[in-house]
Amino acid sequence: MTEKIQLPPARYEYGGDEFVFVELDQAMSLEANFAGMAVTNALREEAIDGVVDICPSNASYMVQVDPDRLDPRELVEELRRLESTVGTLPDDYVLKTRVVDVPVLFNDPWTHETLMRFRDRHQDPDATDLEYAARINGFDSVQGVIDAMTSAPWIVTMLGFVPGLPFCYQLVPRDRQIQVPKYVRPRTDTPERTFGFGGAFAVVYPVRGAGGYQMFGMAPAPVFDLSQSLPDFADDISFPNANDVLRYRAIDMAEFEATRAEVENGTFRYRIREVEFEPAGLLADPDAVNRELLEVLYR
Amino acid sequence: MSELLVRAGGLYTTVQDTGRFGYYHMGMPPSGAMDVYSAVVANMLVGNPDGAGVLEGTYVGPTLEFTDDRVVAVTGADVPVTVNDEPVEPWTAIRVGSGDVLSFAMIRAGCRAYVAVSGGIDVPVYLGSRSTYTLTGIGGHQGRKLVDDETLPLGSGDGSARPGAVVPEELRPELAGPAELRTVIGLCSYRLTEDALASFLGTDWKVTKDADRVGYRLRGGKLDFTDREQPFGAGSDPANVVDLGYPVGSIQVPGGDEPIVLLNDAVTGGGYATIGTVISVDRDRIAQTKTGDAVRFTSVDLDTALAARRDRRERIERVRREITR
Amino acid sequence: MTTIKAQMPGVFYRRPAPEKPAYVDDGDKISEGQTIALIEVMKTFNEVKAGESGTVAEFLVEDGDEVDVGQDIVRLGEV
Repeated sequence: MTEKIQLPPARYEYGGDEFVFVELDQAMSLEANFAGMAVTNALREEAIDGVVDICPSNASYMVQVDPDRLDPRELVEELRRLESTVGTLPDDYVLKTRVVDVPVLFNDPWTHETLMRFRDRHQDPDATDLEYAARINGFDSVQGVIDAMTSAPWIVTMLGFVPGLPFCYQLVPRDRQIQVPKYVRPRTDTPERTFGFGGAFAVVYPVRGAGGYQMFGMAPAPVFDLSQSLPDFADDISFPNANDVLRYRAIDMAEFEATRAEVENGTFRYRIREVEFEPAGLLADPDAVNRELLEVLYR
Repeated sequence: MSELLVRAGGLYTTVQDTGRFGYYHMGMPPSGAMDVYSAVVANMLVGNPDGAGVLEGTYVGPTLEFTDDRVVAVTGADVPVTVNDEPVEPWTAIRVGSGDVLSFAMIRAGCRAYVAVSGGIDVPVYLGSRSTYTLTGIGGHQGRKLVDDETLPLGSGDGSARPGAVVPEELRPELAGPAELRTVIGLCSYRLTEDALASFLGTDWKVTKDADRVGYRLRGGKLDFTDREQPFGAGSDPANVVDLGYPVGSIQVPGGDEPIVLLNDAVTGGGYATIGTVISVDRDRIAQTKTGDAVRFTSVDLDTALAARRDRRERIERVRREITR
Repeated sequence: MTTIKAQMPGVFYRRPAPEKPAYVDDGDKISEGQTIALIEVMKTFNEVKAGESGTVAEFLVEDGDEVDVGQDIVRLGEV
């Protein structure tokens, strides 16, 4: 079993008078993300007047305040208190979230067409993005890296870059994380719903636009819907939330087209299950907890 | 007819209010008037609630024709304003009627002019705000800047406007440069060397041509990062950190040479080290600096930032007393 | 002296694209509303139009120069 990462003391910083920024670690780890999640979830439940928004991030988090109603210094005191209780992730700390099936067509024709147009901006112009990722991560084949990305689920650590874009970190120890650099120079185009990868993070691009992440495939279902026409978007324009556990599942073209048809006629719904798990347990035995999470999802 | 005719859209005119809040966590910035003080005071002059929809014009203002009796006020940048080609006073509630045309000449100082009309610019409220966020095309008037020859819906005023009301000179913002931007240094400022941080605060930075509602890119110096082995997940560039949230007003230095101050329409997070945050009150000030102008950053603590905010509130309340007297 | 002034700050360009010829040259006759240059600001290129008819006597700024709002960019001569 890999050794548990010890977090340094959290750093509390004022982002001017309207934001408090808390850095849990300079390095990315599940430990740092879980600690931030525990504190931000607890803060959300307290529903403190003057907290405008709570923004979890990868190894940090940020709270937006209305300083006319809440002194940022008082907020920091409360955050320190939460850090010393739930932020240490006691063994019995339970995270309530949801686990979601997210289908992805890897090696799809659309991102393939796009990546071929931008080969001159890539580290390895003679390979596809997936071939490159497989090679530099020590896999014998593209299938090997796809299997690694789809076998264990991911946690949404942060939304941003553009509205609704989920950053996802795989629920596996650091030595099993897949890592790829961003493009040498960013592309001017990325298709909507591209499954991308940069650093140790997987993303689904909510909308078409510029991008620097490697392009591995395409999701048939949206993560962002300004028209809020699909049932999963009834309450929010963005589907994923921080803390969501997403299982990226490789699908074939037939399922891709069938799912697209459901999206088009407005009937598509994500497969979602409510779930509880202990972050401390996951850190101790990720494979066992991941098996349970997938078991709940496909039960 | 309760509408306003846009004869000319100007360079970049959008509908804004005091912003859209509660969506930062999903990556949506607040948008809203860049110079909040001027927008709120414009609303006050025409008897609107502080957060009513106003027009924010940039550099070249719009040309507007009224279709019924209204009270209008122009605040913000120093720019000659006319009604039917006759000069009118800025920071003043002006009575207009059907067929009257409000136009702008060339800006003398500042960058953004605000136009409030009694009843407010009554575009649909989207996610709690009338503010335009053009990058995603939401809010405001069809999610975009105004174009020539179109109409905007106006709400109905409550009759509380007081034509002739004037904001006294001393309650109008200072527009002469260089702009002093009070900044709470911190966040990831540890990434800069001590010399670089001193140089950041000691430099007169020049606003580049790309400065817009997303952010202000500045030029004028070079800032060095401390050497370190990059942490896991941070990326290889010394300016990179593990992706994190960016406060509105925060400053980053992607290449070490061009600091960027992130503003109302900016990305909410990313992988560049942030080194401090311009205090909320001084976002009004940077909003009134234009391409080519100089800005400098002064380091302040949170107390100063909060005091400045209280001071702005008091100024707003003084304006309210002055114009309802 | 009659001049055309920059209505906005930014970077001044005399041609629509680097490989294209200049909109107008010294000595050219121009008519009101004619595009004579571009100013790049806020990530967009904005056409500079002549406010009145005349002859281009002289460009007062170079291609690629930064201009400020209100700055004279062209001196006009008699038609």
